[in-house]
Amino acid sequence: MKPIILQGHERSLTQIVFNAEGDLLFTASKDHIINVWFTSNGERLGTFGGAVGGAKHNGTVWTVACDSESKYLMSGGADNTMRMWEVNTGKCLKVWEYETAVKRVAWSEDDELVLGITEQRQGQPSIIRVYALNREDGASQSDEPIQTITLTGSKATVALFAPLSDNILVGHESGKVSKYSVKTGEEVLVNEDGHRGEITDIQLSPDGTYFITSSKDKTARIWDSETLDEMKVYATETPLNSACIAPLRPYVILGGGQDAMAVTTTSQRAGKFESRFWHKLFEEEVGRVRGHFGPINTLAVHPQGKAYASGAEDGFVRVHWFDESYFRSRPFGDLEPEVEV
Amino acid sequence: MSAIKTIKEDWAADEELGDDLPPTTETTVDGITTIVSWKLNNLDQKVKVTRRVRRRLQTQLVSHTVAERKHLPKFGLDKGKPSGPDRTTTIIGENLHFKISATTNKAVEVEQKEDIAARATGGKTVVCRKCKGNHFTAKCPFKDQLAAIDNVDGDGMDEEPGLDKAGGLQAKGMGGVGGKYVPPGQRGGGAGESMYRPRDEYPTLRITSLSYDAEDEDLEALFAPFGHVMRANVVRDRETRESRGLGFVSFERKQDAEKAMAKMNGFGYDSLILSVSWSMPREPRP
Repeated sequence: MKPIILQGHERSLTQIVFNAEGDLLFTASKDHIINVWFTSNGERLGTFGGAVGGAKHNGTVWTVACDSESKYLMSGGADNTMRMWEVNTGKCLKVWEYETAVKRVAWSEDDELVLGITEQRQGQPSIIRVYALNREDGASQSDEPIQTITLTGSKATVALFAPLSDNILVGHESGKVSKYSVKTGEEVLVNEDGHRGEITDIQLSPDGTYFITSSKDKTARIWDSETLDEMKVYATETPLNSACIAPLRPYVILGGGQDAMAVTTTSQRAGKFESRFWHKLFEEEVGRVRGHFGPINTLAVHPQGKAYASGAEDGFVRVHWFDESYFRSRPFGDLEPEVEV
Repeated sequence: MSAIKTIKEDWAADEELGDDLPPTTETTVDGITTIVSWKLNNLDQKVKVTRRVRRRLQTQLVSHTVAERKHLPKFGLDKGKPSGPDRTTTIIGENLHFKISATTNKAVEVEQKEDIAARATGGKTVVCRKCKGNHFTAKCPFKDQLAAIDNVDGDGMDEEPGLDKAGGLQAKGMGGVGGKYVPPGQRGGGAGESMYRPRDEYPTLRITSLSYDAEDEDLEALFAPFGHVMRANVVRDRETRESRGLGFVSFERKQDAEKAMAKMNGFGYDSLILSVSWSMPREPRP
């Protein structure tokens, strides 16, 4: 397996996402710019921001999300704005401004809705806003959200739309996982028994019936999207920054490392900068991929399960296309359930 | 522009600057393409870059939208750049060994090390002192027979008193089994003389779910009220020096240790509940 190393950022990565076909990879970083790459050969198609005189985020880009048609891109940053971009041209279509930074954005399944989480700071509460978008004319968007959810208690750190987009699945700073209704803005379900630390990432399974969260409490957990029941726990020895579920094969990929301030006192051999593959069903570690010089901040898996990418504190993105041996692997022999490839 | 031209920094530097770099040329011979391109380095000197590549066409079936995206013009910082990966932003990494397996990584590493060790000795010429075979003397298959002959000869060298049979046959420093080094104090099965009292002689408590911030001194201070603490230490990671949340405390007297265990098991310390038990002697290492 030869990774493609993308060095288009000057600072650490914050979030990376594939588009629906998996041919594009969007990478957001603390250097204010979003890059888009062809995943097949690592060629950079362009940058969102960075051109002289063009619109761009004026601070860390915390989050990025692409719709299923690869037409529009949403991003949120520390400059207290959420932006909408045209994927094919890199043009900034719309800017929403807030009181605090935007930490997470996500699209609904039908691409009609988009949500953004703003940070709790300076006396401002953490708020999730949901917007209905005009998909015909990208440049004319409403300033007013159709739903505003003000969070009381622990702030929201990550969120995404549940299947069918009636509900929003939210991960909180306290480790709580909850579900809010888009229509009423009320909390429908909550599970506080899982994580004991801040939830750092949330990603849906290919069919949407379950999702994975990673947390600073050194575990990743899989939850039922409908009932919020905890299904699986993957306990590692480092705080986790990201987790994703690989399609095709029964694996989950976890990434983490310790805080940036502890990096210089850590030996690379301590193995904290590796992406770890865990068996989804047996909750056993089955492999590791090394390469980064810093903690992995974000992981994304190709929607068809052919590749995965990791972005780290060291500013590099590594795209790994799986070898054939990965698809044939059966680490637990006959115990392994049959999976269609 | 002319002002720059008059200041000649280096006689070897090319006089031509800036715009008129020779065009990139490509020649293909026997399937190997030679690409000659020119660029300016940071001293404004012309640099010739020659790359030889073999191109192989790979066909891939993709959906229409993906194929159309391949022809999009570049935008943002890459505006106007030609298609194809730019070597300043994209590099191909080294081949990674990645295998999905149920064993943990550590087991694999140990195996590899042993492999390397085996190969290292395989490369050298090893001659047995007993039978002149291609192996270490200690592993000689004929050593029993040859030793018997040696003894008949009355060599004397092998008849050192106090050494048992196996020890007498082997080179000094070689241990009993498998040719691994065994320190003199531990040879022949019996425990040798040691300078230190073995740790297990003192009643020792094992403290788990200990705060990661606790130091040896904290642990000693915590258990000092129960009696004289001989030793208190926190177990740390060998590489990172991070605490592993585990500590050992040895008391001089057993009743003190019992008292401490009764009192401290379940004691809240730095927002964690301590669990205290007797320290079990470690099983012999393989």
